[in-house]
Amino acid sequence: MAQIELKGVSKRWGAVWGVRKVDIEIADKELLVLLGPSGCGKTTTMRMIAGLEDPSEGEITFDGEVMNAVDARDRDVAMVFQGYALYPNMSIYENIRFPLRMRNVPKDKQDELVRRAAKMVELSDYLNRKPGALSGGQRQRAALARAIVREPQIFLMDEPLSNLDAQLRQAMRVQIKYIQRELQITTVYVTHDQIEAMTLADRIVVMQGGAVQQVGTPDEIYSDPANTFVASFIGAPPMNLIDGMIKDGNFVADHVEVPDVGIKTTGQIRLGIRPEDCAVVSSAEQRHNMKGDVYGVEPTGDMTVLTLRVGEKNLEIKADRDYRSELGVQENVVFDTNRLYFFDSQSGERVR
Amino acid sequence: MASIRRVKGENLYIRYLILSCWGLFCLMPVLWFLSIGFRPRTEIITAQPIYFPTLSLDAWHMIWSDWPMAKYLRNSVAAIFGSVMIDLVLAIPAAYSLSRYEYRGREDIGFYILSTRMMAPAIVAIPIFFLFRNLGLLDTIWALMLVYAAINLSIVTWIIRSYMTDIPRELEDAARTDGAGDLRILWEIIIPAILPGIITAAVIAMIFVINEFLFTLLIASTPDAYTMSVALANFTGGSDGVIYNAIALVAFLAFVPVFLVVIAIQKHLSRGLTMGAVKG
Amino acid sequence: MHDSSLSDTRSAPATTAVTKTRFRRRSKWLRAWFPYLLVAPAVIYLLGITLYPGIYAIVQSFYAVKFGPWNPVGFNNYVKLWGDYQFWGALWNTLLMGTISLTLQCVLALTLAFHAYRDPWVRGWRIIFLVPMLFMPSAVAFIYKLMFLDARVFSDILIRFGLVDGNLAIQSSIWGSRALLILTDVWQWTPFLFIIFVAALQGQDEEIEEAARLDGATWAKIFWNISLPLMRPVIAVALVIRGIDITTMFANVFIVTKGGPAFGTETISYFIYRTGFKFFNFGYASAASVIMLVLTIIVAQVVVKRAFKSARG
Repeated sequence: MAQIELKGVSKRWGAVWGVRKVDIEIADKELLVLLGPSGCGKTTTMRMIAGLEDPSEGEITFDGEVMNAVDARDRDVAMVFQGYALYPNMSIYENIRFPLRMRNVPKDKQDELVRRAAKMVELSDYLNRKPGALSGGQRQRAALARAIVREPQIFLMDEPLSNLDAQLRQAMRVQIKYIQRELQITTVYVTHDQIEAMTLADRIVVMQGGAVQQVGTPDEIYSDPANTFVASFIGAPPMNLIDGMIKDGNFVADHVEVPDVGIKTTGQIRLGIRPEDCAVVSSAEQRHNMKGDVYGVEPTGDMTVLTLRVGEKNLEIKADRDYRSELGVQENVVFDTNRLYFFDSQSGERVR
Repeated sequence: MASIRRVKGENLYIRYLILSCWGLFCLMPVLWFLSIGFRPRTEIITAQPIYFPTLSLDAWHMIWSDWPMAKYLRNSVAAIFGSVMIDLVLAIPAAYSLSRYEYRGREDIGFYILSTRMMAPAIVAIPIFFLFRNLGLLDTIWALMLVYAAINLSIVTWIIRSYMTDIPRELEDAARTDGAGDLRILWEIIIPAILPGIITAAVIAMIFVINEFLFTLLIASTPDAYTMSVALANFTGGSDGVIYNAIALVAFLAFVPVFLVVIAIQKHLSRGLTMGAVKG
Repeated sequence: MHDSSLSDTRSAPATTAVTKTRFRRRSKWLRAWFPYLLVAPAVIYLLGITLYPGIYAIVQSFYAVKFGPWNPVGFNNYVKLWGDYQFWGALWNTLLMGTISLTLQCVLALTLAFHAYRDPWVRGWRIIFLVPMLFMPSAVAFIYKLMFLDARVFSDILIRFGLVDGNLAIQSSIWGSRALLILTDVWQWTPFLFIIFVAALQGQDEEIEEAARLDGATWAKIFWNISLPLMRPVIAVALVIRGIDITTMFANVFIVTKGGPAFGTETISYFIYRTGFKFFNFGYASAASVIMLVLTIIVAQVVVKRAFKSARG
């Protein structure tokens, strides 16, 4: 039960910046997701919160108390790792009990807590096994039980689901969220998977190149991206970005034209439109914003992802599940003009 | 034989011819030496070698009744055991430091430890001899223990270091966030996880201790501190000449336990012999 | 799916009081020095057993030391060594026998390993080949002394096959004695290299070899062009370790030849032993030790460091 604050936290190794001047406030009982591609500094940020890595600059506080000089073992955080990190020589029971033993919890209490945690993750029948005798999903749950058993101030989860297959991942995701809500423990969750971030988070911190790109609720991150990086990192398929010009209040690009976009400036600009905000129109006579040649048709069951060749670029459109076409056929597309995003073509920042 | 894998053009007859020849070359002298152990002295050195001797247990009785063989055995075991213990106590923390921490001079320290293995015993033999004489430790198994431990410390450290390096960092991070301190992590997490490596290091150290000859010869100059190895060299029995049948028996007595232990750790042997440089 | 189990936790109070320690500040000093503290005992022990003797030997090498007091003689011991043909002979013998022995062992071990590593009975072969290595060196020395010199089994077998007329005079021939020492070493220590090479070959990626086979390479070509180059770092480490042990060869010389005939098999280790502990000329022996020490340090810095670095990747 803690409120965490990172003030101007940086991590550098010589000339290499791992994390650059990060400011994040994490509210009590919140589930915050650090999202970004590999190497973006999200894991390093988490490790600094855990105390496994010392920040080169800046301050980390828990409930207002500066933690920089406090060792990981004394911070009362529990961490779940990507590779599970179960102690191979100990049984599952011993694994879950380990943090209690380290904190000198009375013996009889230990047993009770271990069994309760095991029950929460449905591992009661496997307590005597060694980690090597469990499946990946069971190991992940054992790691989870080890983290929740002592009810720490803070949970830290470092890509805990990335070694599991898709189905199991979904089930575990729900379970993690449920447990976090039950125990009401402040949680920081690191992932590169935007679906995981969207479904789990109270708030998401999008990171890239060691710096924070945007902080917000999943809805804000999705519908109000701060820059092209955030816009193209969230959503599958990602947002289409089209370079063009503003002329007389209209957006114009190669094979693309959107009238009256309401942007006051003129000159170079980048238009963003999500695949789900595009629609194929049936005839060339109808009003449309873009035309291109069919490059690929991928039915996924609930919809069809249509890739169009527009000028030199491939752009994606979520079409109806029944949509089919031949390669090379010209198609016309209309945009939902209420959901257009404009970005500065130099900096990538949102233009409003 | 269908399961025998071979490359196109490889002749299986040649393969087995080569391997069997070397096998025979390895075993024939050993078997013949074993036969020496069970023949009377009169049939060892003769005008014509005798290939089918009469069976005799003379040597067996001799080594137990005429010589304090039990004492030599005890000295050997004590020196080996003691030195391996010293090595483990010193090497495990050292290996932990070398494998798990980043600090200035780490590589140089590691290499210094390795380089002591490269030092010929003859170079340090004289000063060590005087050192132990001044300490009054000559002719004691304590001196042997200390020297043996020094000889093997580099090997043991490097082998254990190699196994420790293989342990995922996450495991240690997990223990740290779970509330364990550095020494606790070493004792409860790392050591149990690399137990096979520690055993391998101990066995390799044992092989090298048994092979050590020069120091033992210098330090143990009276039967009180003889180990099996040096006792053998002194079985020249004065005017009797070399008592080969007794030597043969003692050699086999020392061989059997070593052989069994080494078979047990076969899988780890190559890694141990190269101090962790080659992973088997 | 988890309703039943999780409903329990709802009834249990979520704020079970697990001990909450006040935050302990760690000592920066201890954290910075902790790794050094861990490695210190081993280093101090090794310094005691290498640095102390090294300095002792250097000091002693400037004195004439018999039994009584130490008489300073300046560089006399080194000057004398420079002109001592026995010292140079010992150095030469060590190098000569070491090189021949090491080359033989390497070639034999490679041949054996390449034929054995994909054999279904490779574990069996390994155990058989290991046997010589696990005998005490003094025992091995006696086996060969008896077989070749005292009981003359080798000569006898050759005579029975009609290859020679009478007993071979191995003991009185310099090259005969050298060959005997080399044979002893090859017999005992080829398995050392064999085991390492087999492990290295088994560890190689089979796909590379299979790709080469699909490209039509014969097994000899695969060996020369793929397996051998991939093994180079391993071979380097193994030869370095073995090479150092060979140059310190002592037990065989001590038991089988005593350095004879005509000092033809005296190694540098035996030279130091003989000078120091047979003639009790400690100062002189120390001077020889110091030269050995310098050579060792050079070899360690130049060869060993590189071999181990490349093998560890």
